[in-house]
Amino acid sequence: MSVRRLGWIVLRDVNRTLGGGIASMELLRRSAAKERWLDERGHAVLTAVSRLTPGTNVLAYCVGLGWLVSGWIGAIVALIVASVPAAVMIAALAATLVRIDRYPIVRVIIAVGVLAATGLVASSAWHLMRPYLNRASAWRTALIAAVVAVLSWLDVTPVRIFLASAAIGALIGMPASADAPSVDS
Amino acid sequence: MSTFALYVLLLKATATSFAGMGSLPQIRHDLVVTAHAITDEQLSQAVLVGRSTPGPVGAYVVAVGYFAGGVEGAIAGLLAVMTPAFAAVPLLVLMQRWLHVPRVRAAVDAVVMASAALLVVSVVRMASDGAQQFARLVGWM
Repeated sequence: MSVRRLGWIVLRDVNRTLGGGIASMELLRRSAAKERWLDERGHAVLTAVSRLTPGTNVLAYCVGLGWLVSGWIGAIVALIVASVPAAVMIAALAATLVRIDRYPIVRVIIAVGVLAATGLVASSAWHLMRPYLNRASAWRTALIAAVVAVLSWLDVTPVRIFLASAAIGALIGMPASADAPSVDS
Repeated sequence: MSTFALYVLLLKATATSFAGMGSLPQIRHDLVVTAHAITDEQLSQAVLVGRSTPGPVGAYVVAVGYFAGGVEGAIAGLLAVMTPAFAAVPLLVLMQRWLHVPRVRAAVDAVVMASAALLVVSVVRMASDGAQQFARLVGWM
């Protein structure tokens, strides 16, 4: 019963938000609290874990929640209902775009949309960077950004840039912070 | 490119990023610059499609997969989005043991910062590509 309930709640809460994973995670927090699956501390731990898990944060949150509620079955069910409906919509939309983008008016609309998407990516970058733009972290942030800019200019691959950044981060350390990074998922 | 190779490249991108859009620089490097499997324009369209539907932002990788390999590519994209999420379970178990270690936390923070900085680099390239495309269309009309 709880797996079915979990599946319904994750399906409902993740697939009705447009603003990214933070909004979905807030809806999941409220639902999980109502179902007595998670208290505030549990939500904080899950949020931190989701931000440290590679990939899409809200999917990691769903897997963690599913695992806490119903073990591995819950994790798999939560992951499927959180990702498959959106994937089907995206694939259908992409297929439609391929068929209609030969029409000039469609191409103009797409060009405008692409410029808007650029703004959305910039917004994601801002959400990722914002927690580190304080006085205590400023020089560390500037150093990492400078290293990324130089390595990127030298055409170093992103994976190597991440490894170099991790090594520099471990070397120089960070100011202790209670807040986990705020990321757009 | 085979569907499995596409899955591996997309997984490499999703498994080395810490946010939905964080995989964009690696995807651009592997699929646009190196493999020429999609164009910059298609990558931008994939982002647009991904942000136009409800659900996880990172699911734009499904559209990338579709543009690179049709329906099989979309399935490869979906699997590449889903796979890293399973790391949440061992992380949940390990977190209380290791995250309080300052150097571990600092390394993770540095990777998140680098992810944001790389996104800014992608934004500049996308904006340039989008502006050129728009200018071409306006001139043509």
